[in-house]
Amino acid sequence: MISHAQLERKPAVEEREVDLIFHAPRHINLLTVEPLDKKTLHFAIMHTFGTIDGGIQNLYGLDNGATIQFSFEYALNSNFSLGAARQSRDKMYTLYGRYHLLKQTEDNSMPVSVSLMGAAGINTSDYGFLQEANPSAADRSSFVGQLMIARKFTDKISLQASPMLAYFVNPNPVFLIEGRENLYLAVGFSGKYKLSGKSSLTLQWIPNLNNDLKNNVGVGIDLEAGGHVFQLYFVTSQALNEQYLLAGGNGVPGEGFRLGFNVNRVFATGR
Amino acid sequence: MKPVLLLAAMMLIVCFRGVGQQFLTENGRVEFLSQAPLNEFTGKSANLNGLIDLEKNVLDFYVDLNTLETGIGLRDRHMRENYLETKKYPYAEFTGKINAPPSLSTGQTASVIAKGKFKIHGIEKEIEVPGKLTQLKDGEMQLDASFTVLLGDYKIDIPKVVFYELAEEQVVTIQAILKAKK
Repeated sequence: MISHAQLERKPAVEEREVDLIFHAPRHINLLTVEPLDKKTLHFAIMHTFGTIDGGIQNLYGLDNGATIQFSFEYALNSNFSLGAARQSRDKMYTLYGRYHLLKQTEDNSMPVSVSLMGAAGINTSDYGFLQEANPSAADRSSFVGQLMIARKFTDKISLQASPMLAYFVNPNPVFLIEGRENLYLAVGFSGKYKLSGKSSLTLQWIPNLNNDLKNNVGVGIDLEAGGHVFQLYFVTSQALNEQYLLAGGNGVPGEGFRLGFNVNRVFATGR
Repeated sequence: MKPVLLLAAMMLIVCFRGVGQQFLTENGRVEFLSQAPLNEFTGKSANLNGLIDLEKNVLDFYVDLNTLETGIGLRDRHMRENYLETKKYPYAEFTGKINAPPSLSTGQTASVIAKGKFKIHGIEKEIEVPGKLTQLKDGEMQLDASFTVLLGDYKIDIPKVVFYELAEEQVVTIQAILKAKK
């Protein structure tokens, strides 16, 4: 009746960036292409417990204590953020940067999101109990680089492939890693299948490319709850930072599974 | 064209120009306020598109919900993807009439009540919105209005675990300066 007098509905922006390829910058143990907005701080607290094969006697691994990682990441702008993480296993401190090269758009003029990540870490465990001298700072250092390529295929399905490398200056047998090489190559795969508006099934698989270590496998669920993203999962490794994910070794999927969970939260600053 | 027809056409044009008291905006401001027990925040957009036609008594407003910003990007994304579902329902719209269209001269303000259909999240409801129209100068009008939206009315679910962060009742405020169509 009055429709002829109505305004034509027009979108405000033509090439909109795709929202939420993943629920958070973290996805099980791996980083994602999910960007942070300028001047926001992302905080993640991540845990993995003992193996679940001890059964109820060990409360499915929870009695064995947790490996914990605190991670803070601050976005200097919408494409670049700097982070710091501290993993309890080997008291690892890691500094990292994440840079978003490309962002997928709704109209597919850009079909994928691509991000780069680089990190340097140091093991700060006290090795005073050793016969030989405490390893030097250089010997305790390790580095990581990864390229993350992701696409939201449908409203439900997102996938990311992350070619990664980790380098240990001196993979000392006293470190809590299984590998003895300096260089580790792998591809991390992350998958998300949306179950409902606020929950998704999550997958992680990190096949190693240049060693015989078992591959990392993870399966879990992401739950969004008012600004928090809770991530509950089963995973084959205690490792929480990238170097240890590649060099740390894994149990056999099934019997070697551990429970893990992350809590993600974003804080706006400078307002 | 015969002269008579030409004259008729010219009269029509003149006529419509006289009738066409249309005021338009493309950058009106919309703001919503969510006051939950543990968290209060506002979302803002400056992309309100609007039309007020005082002669035909038509009000038509819409905003692209993708332009709403709460100051936290991740919260915006969750709002778009999980609550407003902007991919399916990109706009909030209001189309209606003013109860008594005022005729204003410069500097005058009139309180008005708009009645019409408000649509968001794919659900349409009849609402009444009290507001104020001010004639700023010749050919320029300001609209101020405020109303509340109950999210439940529009099937925007708030999960139980977040009731303390997101309020069921959202206070929406609109401010727009509309200019006469040339």
